[in-house]
Amino acid sequence: MVHVHSTFWSGAREGFTVFLPLSVGLVPWALVMGMAMAGVGFTPLQAMGMNVLVFAGTAQLGTLPLIAAEAPLWLILTTALALNLRFVIFSAAIAPGFRGVPMPARWVSGFLLTDGVFAVCLDKMLTVDDPRWRLGYYLAPAVWSWVLWQGFALIGVFASGILPKQWSLEFMATIALIVLLVPMAKVRPMLLAAVVGGLSATLLRNMPLRLGVVAGIVAGIAAGFAAEHWEHRSKPT
Amino acid sequence: MTYDASLWIIFILLGLCTLLPRGSFIVLGNRVTLPGALQRALRYAPAAALAAIVVPDVLLVGGELAPFNPKLAAAIAAVTATLLWRNPWLPFIAGMAALHAARLLAGV
Repeated sequence: MVHVHSTFWSGAREGFTVFLPLSVGLVPWALVMGMAMAGVGFTPLQAMGMNVLVFAGTAQLGTLPLIAAEAPLWLILTTALALNLRFVIFSAAIAPGFRGVPMPARWVSGFLLTDGVFAVCLDKMLTVDDPRWRLGYYLAPAVWSWVLWQGFALIGVFASGILPKQWSLEFMATIALIVLLVPMAKVRPMLLAAVVGGLSATLLRNMPLRLGVVAGIVAGIAAGFAAEHWEHRSKPT
Repeated sequence: MTYDASLWIIFILLGLCTLLPRGSFIVLGNRVTLPGALQRALRYAPAAALAAIVVPDVLLVGGELAPFNPKLAAAIAAVTATLLWRNPWLPFIAGMAALHAARLLAGV
């Protein structure tokens, strides 16, 4: 039995070693997440409930203002889906790395897929043969991310109770979204998608049911896609 | 502000809105693939969605356009810090400092 599982653990050890230094970046996110959830008035139980069930920083931060403003459910869910669409692409890219891995482990792996884990694991997942080694290499960083995310969010939830209201710590959630957005917008079509999406949502703010957010997202996607086409035509490769 | 039990239904549905995109191809395996054009278009969804939330938040005060307001100053500071330095804490420090400095200057 021991040697059957040993390739899993050697994969896990290697994945963890590679991911550990990068995982420090999760700490401020998780702290801000905890503070933001407490900032909109969640109890510690509600905050940690959201953190465990949703486990997606961007979708959590993005939907918090909508939940706090009592926006309609469909708008909250549409926004979360839009923010999570990148995972469909990540999932498709990394899927070949799960050949030979049993179904239950695939569901767990899917639930734990994050931007950082995807970036760190993709290469080895596609090149190593042994499915047990691959699963270990993937799950160690993924589980570690989950542990850090829950632990520091909990600290954030309680930290925000000690800090005074007039510090406006809830604005840290907006800053967190900005920090996510800026590196994305370094490519020109992506910048255009963001500018068009943001300005449309601002101009359409008076649409009923906060439809302006969805209209802004659709306009942004269309603008980015159109810009990509246009760039390709102007300089053929 | 307090929330009722429906908050938990929102959390569960949000959890599904995360699990399904993440799990999709990992669970289905290589049997299904997305059309290339759709894949490329979907790449713009996160940036568009983030901007659609952030930009109105920093440009509007009480539902009206306010091109000069402390939140916008804070956003500019956060963007600058993100572009110039790699330190993950700095955008938060710069942004919150700018927010409070601008409020002091504006006397709000």
